[in-house]
Amino acid sequence: MKILVAEDEPKIGVYLQQGLSEAGFSVDRVASGSEALQCALAESYDLLILDVMMPGLDGWEVLRRLRGAGQAVPVLFLTARDRIEDRVKGLELGADDYLVKPFAFAELLARVRTLLRRGQASAAPTRLQVADLEVDLLKRRASRGGQRIDLTAKEFALLELLLRRQGEVLPKSLIASQVWDMNFDSDTNVIEVAIRRLRAKIDDGFEPKLIHTVRGMGYLLDAPE
Amino acid sequence: MIRRLSLTTRLSLLFMLALTGVLLAVGLTFNLLSREHFVDLDRHALHEKLQASQRLLGSLRRADELPALRPQLHTLLGAHQDLRAQILAADGRVLFAEPSEAAIPARFRSQTHALWEWWEEGRLLRGMTAEVALAEPGQSLTLLLALDVTHHADFFSALQRWLWIALVVCALLSAGLGWLVARSGLRPLREVTQVAATVSARSLKERIPQAALPVELQPLVSSFNGMLERLDDAFVRLSNFSADIAHELRTPLTQLMTHTEVVLSRARSLEEYQDALYGNLEDLKRMARMIDDMLFLAKADNGLIVPERKPVALHELVEQLLDYYRWLAEEAGVELEQEGSGLIAGDAGMLRRALSNLLSNALRYTPAGGCIRVRIGAGV
Repeated sequence: MKILVAEDEPKIGVYLQQGLSEAGFSVDRVASGSEALQCALAESYDLLILDVMMPGLDGWEVLRRLRGAGQAVPVLFLTARDRIEDRVKGLELGADDYLVKPFAFAELLARVRTLLRRGQASAAPTRLQVADLEVDLLKRRASRGGQRIDLTAKEFALLELLLRRQGEVLPKSLIASQVWDMNFDSDTNVIEVAIRRLRAKIDDGFEPKLIHTVRGMGYLLDAPE
Repeated sequence: MIRRLSLTTRLSLLFMLALTGVLLAVGLTFNLLSREHFVDLDRHALHEKLQASQRLLGSLRRADELPALRPQLHTLLGAHQDLRAQILAADGRVLFAEPSEAAIPARFRSQTHALWEWWEEGRLLRGMTAEVALAEPGQSLTLLLALDVTHHADFFSALQRWLWIALVVCALLSAGLGWLVARSGLRPLREVTQVAATVSARSLKERIPQAALPVELQPLVSSFNGMLERLDDAFVRLSNFSADIAHELRTPLTQLMTHTEVVLSRARSLEEYQDALYGNLEDLKRMARMIDDMLFLAKADNGLIVPERKPVALHELVEQLLDYYRWLAEEAGVELEQEGSGLIAGDAGMLRRALSNLLSNALRYTPAGGCIRVRIGAGV
């Protein structure tokens, strides 16, 4: 998966490139709008990450010209200004997502994966499996090592989210918004408690452990290699 | 062009136009009325002479008896030096003229009883004609009388000249006066402008004194003062906001700096560095959240957030929130309860945010075994 990052702030640009590369993407980095436009027109990328405020061409203008040239590549905007007009403008121009600085890198990563996944139309699986954990999405049933596990509706929703995005670090804000529809940051430890409960049912008494905490970033579900 | 004229100029011009217009109207009316009055006087004088002459001539039987009346006619018509008289026979012969060389244009002979006038060598004459029927049938005389009214015409042309002069003088004078009046009338406006010109961020507390101002300026000044008040309010809030941010951020920043410097002061193990970075990340996230919250508050304070007004089912909203906090409450040994239902017009997102803050605070301060109850009802 190839991503172009256009960010005029060199430190942020470098960190983004490093983070995304380490997450397994191939990343090109430019520091201005005109370079971004050139690269995006010359090569084919799976995703563009554009800073809105850049010298020369700003992010809006790059997007406008790209769409004008018939490029439908998904675009994620980064901005330090959070105004409703900006969001509306971005969406009108055909931006796919919009992230306000400062953002958690895990959040960015999660959104990048969502955008990239959107392109691939895959038949939604009805059964998911990791190691000896099996989940039937239709019957809403989970079992581990053949042993039936009773889950409440919310616990099941949480497990489903972790399973569908297996191997991805999911930030707490994303979990809160996907499972409970809470679209704002709060500093309560609701998600910690929820994960702890799920762990008690999924991982306690089983090996290997599947739910992992990534300190400071979030949680992921994965089988050890 | 007109738009760019100053108020003073505009007012003085209007003042001048109004005054000159009135004077012109008065002058013209006076002129017209006196002219009619003089014409009336002339008609009256002519009519009188005409009647007297008619009476005199009415005693005749035939036109050729006229010479017998000459002395009386001379006394009647010759005494007046501005008067000209002619008596004509039916065939147009001049039987009598006073003064003897007097000439009256022949075209007036048939215009009986109407007042006519003509100019002759710079003199204006006005006259009347009458037919006198004599006792014997078929015998008649035509009587023409004319008055020299040049002195009237002279009087009117003088009157008109003076009227124009007076108009010009009045226009100039009223323009000057108007300028003075407008200037002094607009003085309060200049004073207001002076105060307004001195307003700066430093003196937003200053207000334009309103008590001494004329009524017309009161609304302007009170809205200006209102604007100052709002500006001052916004300005104070803005400065407080920046001060708050600076202050609130100082603590976590100090924490971060101290921590980082201490960690770097000597070589440490990998785990210790990781711990330090995690610690920093926590602090940084707290700072980011702080900025978000403060910006949200600032926007809300300044009316930049426009809440939606849509019907929100409160019991569903509360149910969702209690669902979110249920496990946390279970861990804390606190019961969550909900009763009642209600529908209000509002912004679901903001309501959820506000209620969520309330609930998380309630959870933090409710001891184990306690109960948090959300009751929805009208007027509770």
